[in-house]
Amino acid sequence: MLTMRELSRVYRTDTVETTALDSINLEIADGEFVAIMGPSGCGKSTLLNIVGMLDSPSSGSYVFDGQEVAGLPEAKLADVRKQNIGFIFQSFNLVDELSVRENIELALLYHDVASAERRRRVEEVMDKVGIAHRARHRPSQLSGGQQQRVAVARALVGNPKLILADEPTGNLDTQHGEEVMKMLQQLNREGSTIVMVTHSPSHADYAGRVVNMLDGKILIERRRAA
Amino acid sequence: MVEMWRNYLTVGYRALTKNRTYAAINIVGLAIGLAACLILLLYVRYETSYDAWLPEADRVYQIQTFGTDPETGQNIAMQAVTRPIGDALAGDFAEIESIAKLETDPAVVLQGGNAIGVEKSAAADASFFDIIQLPFIAGDRRGALRDTDSVALSRAEAMRLFGTTDVVGRTLTTARGGEKFDLRVTGVFEDLPRNTHLDLTMVRRFNSAEEEDCPWGCVNGMAYAKLKPGADAASINARMPAWEKSNVPARDIGGRDIAATTDWRLTNVRDIHLGPAQGGDRPGNDMRTIVTFTIVALLILSMAVINFVNLATARAGQRAREVAVRKVLGAKRRQLVGQFLGESLLVVAIAMTIALALVEITLPAFSRFLDADLDLAYLGGSGLLLPIVGFTLLVGLLGGLYPAFQLSRYQPGAVLKANKSSTDAPGSARLRNLLVIGQFAVSIGLIACTAIVYHQTVFARTVDPGYQRDGLLTVRGLRNPEAQAVQETLLREIAKVPGVTAASATRLVPAEGPTFFNSVVVPGRSAPVELGWYSVDPAFFDTMKIDRVAGRILSRTHAADSIAIDQKLDENAAEAAARAIVARGLNVVVNESAARQLGFGAPAAAVGKHIGIPIFGEDYGNATATIVGVVRDARFRSVRDPVAPAIYYDNGVYRYIAVRFERADPAAVRNAIEGIWRRLLPTLPFDAGFAEEELAALYGADEARAQAFGGFALFAALIACLGLFGLAAFTAERRTKEIGIRKVFGARVRDIVRLLAWQFSKPVMLANIVAWPIAWWAMRDWLNGFDARIPLGPGPFLLAGLIALAIALGTVSGHAIRVARLNPIHALRYE
Repeated sequence: MLTMRELSRVYRTDTVETTALDSINLEIADGEFVAIMGPSGCGKSTLLNIVGMLDSPSSGSYVFDGQEVAGLPEAKLADVRKQNIGFIFQSFNLVDELSVRENIELALLYHDVASAERRRRVEEVMDKVGIAHRARHRPSQLSGGQQQRVAVARALVGNPKLILADEPTGNLDTQHGEEVMKMLQQLNREGSTIVMVTHSPSHADYAGRVVNMLDGKILIERRRAA
Repeated sequence: MVEMWRNYLTVGYRALTKNRTYAAINIVGLAIGLAACLILLLYVRYETSYDAWLPEADRVYQIQTFGTDPETGQNIAMQAVTRPIGDALAGDFAEIESIAKLETDPAVVLQGGNAIGVEKSAAADASFFDIIQLPFIAGDRRGALRDTDSVALSRAEAMRLFGTTDVVGRTLTTARGGEKFDLRVTGVFEDLPRNTHLDLTMVRRFNSAEEEDCPWGCVNGMAYAKLKPGADAASINARMPAWEKSNVPARDIGGRDIAATTDWRLTNVRDIHLGPAQGGDRPGNDMRTIVTFTIVALLILSMAVINFVNLATARAGQRAREVAVRKVLGAKRRQLVGQFLGESLLVVAIAMTIALALVEITLPAFSRFLDADLDLAYLGGSGLLLPIVGFTLLVGLLGGLYPAFQLSRYQPGAVLKANKSSTDAPGSARLRNLLVIGQFAVSIGLIACTAIVYHQTVFARTVDPGYQRDGLLTVRGLRNPEAQAVQETLLREIAKVPGVTAASATRLVPAEGPTFFNSVVVPGRSAPVELGWYSVDPAFFDTMKIDRVAGRILSRTHAADSIAIDQKLDENAAEAAARAIVARGLNVVVNESAARQLGFGAPAAAVGKHIGIPIFGEDYGNATATIVGVVRDARFRSVRDPVAPAIYYDNGVYRYIAVRFERADPAAVRNAIEGIWRRLLPTLPFDAGFAEEELAALYGADEARAQAFGGFALFAALIACLGLFGLAAFTAERRTKEIGIRKVFGARVRDIVRLLAWQFSKPVMLANIVAWPIAWWAMRDWLNGFDARIPLGPGPFLLAGLIALAIALGTVSGHAIRVARLNPIHALRYE
């Protein structure tokens, strides 16, 4: 699915140069569920942003699905991104002014999908995450767990090859957190490739592989026995 | 306490400087709005200040003439009254203390062999200065018109004639009707300010012995009454109709009964300038203009305040955390409201200071432009300091109240737990949208009105008047018997001036002179028809370039084309000659309107027809007039008035000489004619003007007002845009997260720009729906005041809508593009 070679990301301001990622080598295969762990500021989110093509590496190579994407212009990246990647955020990032259904549909608006097909897929994915009965509600009327399920549905509706989750359980209580993790596990079993950043070792246990980071480098990788 | 306010001030100041764009839009927008509003209100105050400076103005009234023309159904309202009214009223109403006539009487002063014209001269009754108490700088006001040879001069007139104001007791020699009169100067009054309906530099004592007899039917000048203290003018006006019935002789003049068709009413001097009765010495104004300007002023102010409120509420959300922290630390709601109101007042006070500077800078130019004495004085009786402070407080409270209460309402728990730096109160977005719709409705309405007013103004200036306006010089003074004596010589000499192609003696010229009517009897119809009745010589039509439509124009070769009577005949011979002419009949030319009003379908059908006209008055009976020709309608008066149906005849007595010149320097032509005049008439001042300039002067006030209106309309649009700019910036900022999300899921820059553009286009389009009907209704009403007017099509409305939309999109798209280009991760992470 994706291969990173000697990938670095450096942030510069007038006075400070910060190396967020330092010569990362990482390979993720189709159908994997990878958890990225590490303390605050270790570079997990930067890595995830680069994987998700929301950010570009300063140097190194990033091959996604056989295509070199490091150095592609933003518009090209946006094209690759919308075809292949779904996002789930810690703070859900739902649009308050839109209903549940409209929030999910948002992910299809910028694809060329006919409206009937769009509706069908939105209904399907709402059933899948169990939020269909709340279709007309606004995000502010839902619990945190329900909101994150909407966000998962939105990430899924475009049939992405890769789902990126940035601390998807960070804003949830234990019970709702477990629910979301089970849902991701189920999606992985059905064939989705998932990369997740998390602080929680127990949630990392749902993943097939755990990547530990420190100071912009990959410290340890361990695979869970299948 | 002091510490707390210092803290408020610090935070308020930093909140302002934190976002300079916001602060600039807020303060500059408000300052411009306040300045425009102040200027308009100063103008309104000036226009409503007319004659209020006269001592005892509340007791001083002008007697005005009202009525309905029985023929045309048109309302009559004029400042001038019939001469006998004053003396007749004086004894019959106990509330009237005194009455004085004032009749315009252009004088000719003879000094050192020169004839000096004094245009703004009048004759008045002895009590005039007791009623109109002009401030005197020399001599005694009370006795100034005691004697029949008394004359009072204005400061400027005294300086012009004598070179000093120390002139009491000096002698002034005037010429009238070929005779000399010596007048004695009794006083000098201060030059009149602009805000008065009077226009006088010389007032002499009215001497009834010199004046020709004037019955009730003739209207000669003004009459002023001073009421006793506490008297009620309304009660006099109420009793007036009954008084008219028993006191005004029911004598028919011009085919109508004066008592039955005319009404006299007292109008307070302060109400003359804006009153319905006009036609005084100085151009009046109407209440509608004043109301319109007031409305525009308030609209501009409200738009500026709306901007202020909108931006304040929009920004308020971003200070939610500050509010929450203050509340946690023990601030009471009352204190928070106080804090934000204080901030609002601070901003308004800064804006007002800038506004006053703007007013000071621009006021002189506006004064000149609107021909008004606008004055911004802070102290003194009419000082503006207190109103300005009150205004500042009002706007500050108005603009601060809603944001203050909205902000202080936040629940600290919710704000802090959400860990949000900003939040938006529910419903405030809808309010903002409504306010934006309102603003744009005002802008669109004003732009549409401006376009229409401008279009009509251009139309009025360029519409074919039926004669040629440029290359036409009007020479006045032909009423004078001395001038009449050399009339033929004058015309002959003028015709020889290089460039002059025609010259005519006439009673009808563009933009000035009285309207004459006569009653015409049409065979087969019982009631007479009132038509314009103008004596012109045969050269008139060529001089004015009025086209012939049917038949022929007047000519010297047909004896019956003239009804002139030799001026040298004695009374009996003249009467016999008049009777002979009435018996013989005459030929006349009519214009198209007259032909229509007389009942002829086509112009050609009128030619050869006979009508009855009392050419020398009722005593002589009707003469049979044969219509020998029909000419095009010519509009010599305002485009507001319908083209008057007119009969052109020739009785050899005229008022003006009209001169047509081509391919010649106008000044050279005028100078050459002046030379001829001075040579033939050394004791009469030369007075001439170009028709085009006089028309422009006549409608200049109208045009200046239209332009001012247009200027302020654009101003309103500018302020609306300023507000939209601020709101767009705010919205773009507030929707950063949403835009980030959309981008993560594949939205392109143009998708985002389209999204934001649409968000701001919607209110503008809705604003059209609000603005169009109101503007259409107002403009239909305004255009109906013109006889010659442009049609009211959809063009200006669509144009205004498009302009507003273009402005809105232009304003918004900059922000939209900037936000759409941002990398979404920033937006999402920092939320």
